Amino acid sequence: MFVTKAMTRKVVTVRPEDNLLDTRALMKSHKIHHIPVVEEGNKLVGIISDRDVRSAMPSTLYYESGSERERVKLEKFKVRDVMTKNVITLSLRDTVQDALLLLLKYDIGGLPVVDGDGRLVGILAVRDLLRALVSVLGIGQPGSLLCLLVDDKLGETKKIVDIVFEEKIPIGSILVARHWEPGKRAVFPYLMSINVGSLKRKFQEKGYTILDPEEWYLEDVERTKEERVP
Amino acid sequence: MRRTGFLYDERYLLHRTGSGHPECPERLTAIFAGIASSGLLEKVRRITAHRPDLAWIEAVHPRDYIERLEQACLNGETEFHGPDNQMCRATFQVALLAAGGILDTLDLIMSGELDNAFCAVRPPGHHAEPMYAMGFCYFNNIAIAARYLQKRWGIGKVAIVDIDVHHGNGTQLIFEADQTVFYYSIHEHPTFAFPGTGREFEIGRDKGLGYTKNSIVVPGQGDEIYRFLLERDLVPALEMFRPEVILVSTGFDAHADDDMADLKLTTEGYAWVMRKIRELADRFCGGKLVSILEGGYCLERLPELGRDHVAILLGD
Repeated sequence: MFVTKAMTRKVVTVRPEDNLLDTRALMKSHKIHHIPVVEEGNKLVGIISDRDVRSAMPSTLYYESGSERERVKLEKFKVRDVMTKNVITLSLRDTVQDALLLLLKYDIGGLPVVDGDGRLVGILAVRDLLRALVSVLGIGQPGSLLCLLVDDKLGETKKIVDIVFEEKIPIGSILVARHWEPGKRAVFPYLMSINVGSLKRKFQEKGYTILDPEEWYLEDVERTKEERVP
Repeated sequence: MRRTGFLYDERYLLHRTGSGHPECPERLTAIFAGIASSGLLEKVRRITAHRPDLAWIEAVHPRDYIERLEQACLNGETEFHGPDNQMCRATFQVALLAAGGILDTLDLIMSGELDNAFCAVRPPGHHAEPMYAMGFCYFNNIAIAARYLQKRWGIGKVAIVDIDVHHGNGTQLIFEADQTVFYYSIHEHPTFAFPGTGREFEIGRDKGLGYTKNSIVVPGQGDEIYRFLLERDLVPALEMFRPEVILVSTGFDAHADDDMADLKLTTEGYAWVMRKIRELADRFCGGKLVSILEGGYCLERLPELGRDHVAILLGD
């Protein structure tokens, strides 16, 4: 998926000469953590995060936030004083996969998307990626999840898809966990239907193991009383 | 013994979903057989359905949706809003009779002729959204019932307790911003079971914030967790809300032998759940309790589940 499919296009921006108090207010009112800094012609020159703003602010232990004294002092500080200038950006050819790897590599929370001339066209923040993930998993649509254990060999996922197809059930997504246990994979088809009883029977008749979630996701944590029942 | 109504109309069997479909007429005949063979038919007041005034359907579903469903049936279409919802030419009329029969039942409760009732209807309703058929459901019967109690009988507060193994997304959606209808549902964890809503953090919105409550059961669990969660979540919710009537979305598909989902409630577990709800109705609503059938697909278990359900309503 290209980033243009997932990015936010209406980007809140600031100018280098804007002050930090206004920038903080923008972040608060739009509930965002990163604001690209642009000049004339929407040219990207930096990015400012709520962390940049916060570390430039005096401690709230000394100054009451929003006090007159704080305001006078902070109005003097401009975005350009604290913004990050070497911005890690995405281009229009980059994909959501690229974005995930970049965010992980640099431990950041948002990536501006720029065109070939360095003009800002969008931003991809963690929130946009979460939305894309929900969409890819299909879980914004009604459905049921199956958890199947198969041998770790070529063609097993195809067999599963074929069986689902025979039952005429639309697939919302299918995840494969490659290293489940030695020699096995777990396959998780998300099916866009309530009607999965006969499909499950079919899988069992064909010798598939339907995983019991109780066994795998609570097995190595200490359980509270509620989780121990029964 | 309580005065219990039993809504069952043979026309509910005319909604045909095609061979192999789990939401089949045999579900109802199995429930009926279980009740009949245990001699309970003589103890209940039998109710048959009348076609309702469309205005009551329109209290939940826009006219446009109702007309499109009718048109699809008249055109002989075999599905509506996706392949889950198989139907036939009679489906629209049967769906109307399901809602209509429930309204007739509510009249008998509210006029004091009955204490409680079980409405064995098809098609089910709790997945149906105002504009969208889903999960075998066309009209949201229980939502229509709640609105009818409020508008026709002036009831202030209605509690809906949904024990179907699937979350009643339609019912929740209809009442999520409404503080006069409390929606409680206990169901299989939405990551695994249809439709994927009903997470613990869905608690209503706006004026209805705090008037939706979802209890989540992990696949494989059964009786003990149901006891635990109903005591922890449902009891305090109703103590806070103090309903005047309790409506129950009764799905028998959390049973261990029902393969539509992955929970392990036993027949005894179901009896415990229903006794608990009856006890709450006694405590808050003078016993006024109307149970409306939703899912439940194990034809071998439905007779005993239906029998116990009615026996408990009668006071067993």
